[in-house]
Amino acid sequence: MAEGEWPTEWQPMIDAVGQDFGGGIVYVAADDVEKALVRRYLEPLEFDCPLHYDEEAAKRYGYRGIVAPYSGMSTWVADAKWKPGTVAFTSAERGALPPNAGLGRYLMPGDPEPPRLPRPATEYSFVTELEVDYIRAVIVGDRLSQTGCKLLSCIPKETRVGRGAFFTTEVEIQNQRGELVARMRQQLYCYNRHPKAAE
Amino acid sequence: MPDWAQRYWEDVHEGDELPTLEFPVTIVRLVIEAAANRDFWPLHHSSEFARASGAADIYANNIFLQGMWERSVREYIGLAGVLKKLGPFRMRGFNLVGETVVVKGVVSRTWQSDGENFVEFELRSETSNGVLTVAPGPVIATLPSRLPGPAIK
Repeated sequence: MAEGEWPTEWQPMIDAVGQDFGGGIVYVAADDVEKALVRRYLEPLEFDCPLHYDEEAAKRYGYRGIVAPYSGMSTWVADAKWKPGTVAFTSAERGALPPNAGLGRYLMPGDPEPPRLPRPATEYSFVTELEVDYIRAVIVGDRLSQTGCKLLSCIPKETRVGRGAFFTTEVEIQNQRGELVARMRQQLYCYNRHPKAAE
Repeated sequence: MPDWAQRYWEDVHEGDELPTLEFPVTIVRLVIEAAANRDFWPLHHSSEFARASGAADIYANNIFLQGMWERSVREYIGLAGVLKKLGPFRMRGFNLVGETVVVKGVVSRTWQSDGENFVEFELRSETSNGVLTVAPGPVIATLPSRLPGPAIK
C-alpha cells in the first residue's frame, strides 16, 4: 500500500457505522457483584463513601444493599481471565498475554462468536473517550450482563503514537432481572506505530 | 475526609467549586487498581509494553480515572445524591506513573425536570504541573431538595 493510502483500510468500518455487531449475544459477567470486589475497588481511590461498604447506610438511603461505584461498570460486568476446561497461560515468555488480559470476553470452545468489526488488525489500542448513562444503581448481589455493540463512528487519524482510527461503540448493561442498568459508549484508538518509531 | 453532611439542591450554585483531590500514581497503586478493576492490559503495569506502544511509561486506566471523578462528585453531592451521567470523558494525555493526578470540578448548571433536581458539574484532571490529561467534561447528578415537592431556589 502506497504511503498515504493507509486510511482506506478503515473504509469498511466507516461504511459499517450504524450497524450492531453484538450478534444478539448476552455476555454474563463472570462474577456476582460481591462485597469484597467493591471494597477492593475503593482502596486505590481511597473512596470513603458508606454507600459502598455499609449496608445499613445504603438501605437508609433507599438502596436494596451496598451500592457498587458507578465508575466500575466495566468491572462489574467483566468476564473471566480463565475458565475451567481451558488453558489460558500457554507461554513462559515474559510478556505473554492470556486471551483476556484486558476487559474483553473469554470465549469458550463452542461459544457463539459475535460478528467481527470490519477493521484492520492493529498492534495497540487504548480507550480515548467514554460516555455512560446511569439508569439504575448496581447493588451487591447483582449479576450483570452486556448486550449489543453498535458502531457509532469511525475516524481514521494519524497521531503522535501511530496510525489508526478512533471508533466508538455502544453497549447496554442489564442486571439479573433484565432491568437496564447503564448504556455505555466507548471510543477506542486502535493503531500501529509509525514505521520509523516501531523499528 | 468528607463529613457526609448532606448538601441540598438549593445550596448549589453555578460556579461553586468542588474541593480539589490529588491522586499520586505509583506502580503499586496501579497494580492494586488493576487487581480491583480487572483490567490487566499491560499498558497499565508493564513499562516495557507501554513504551513500545508510544507512551512514556505505564499510566492509569480509564476506570481508575473515572473513579477519581466519581469520588470528587460523590463527596460533593453526599449520600442522597444520585449519579445520572458521565461524559463525554475525554482522555487527552497519559496519566503516568510518578505523577499526581489532580481532579478539579465546578458546578456548571442547575435545573429541575420531572420533579428531579439536577446539577451538572464540569470536571477535569491535570498533572501536578497543570497539564490537562482528562478534558473538561460533564457529570450529571441529582440532589434532594430542602422542600417537599419540587425545589425552589
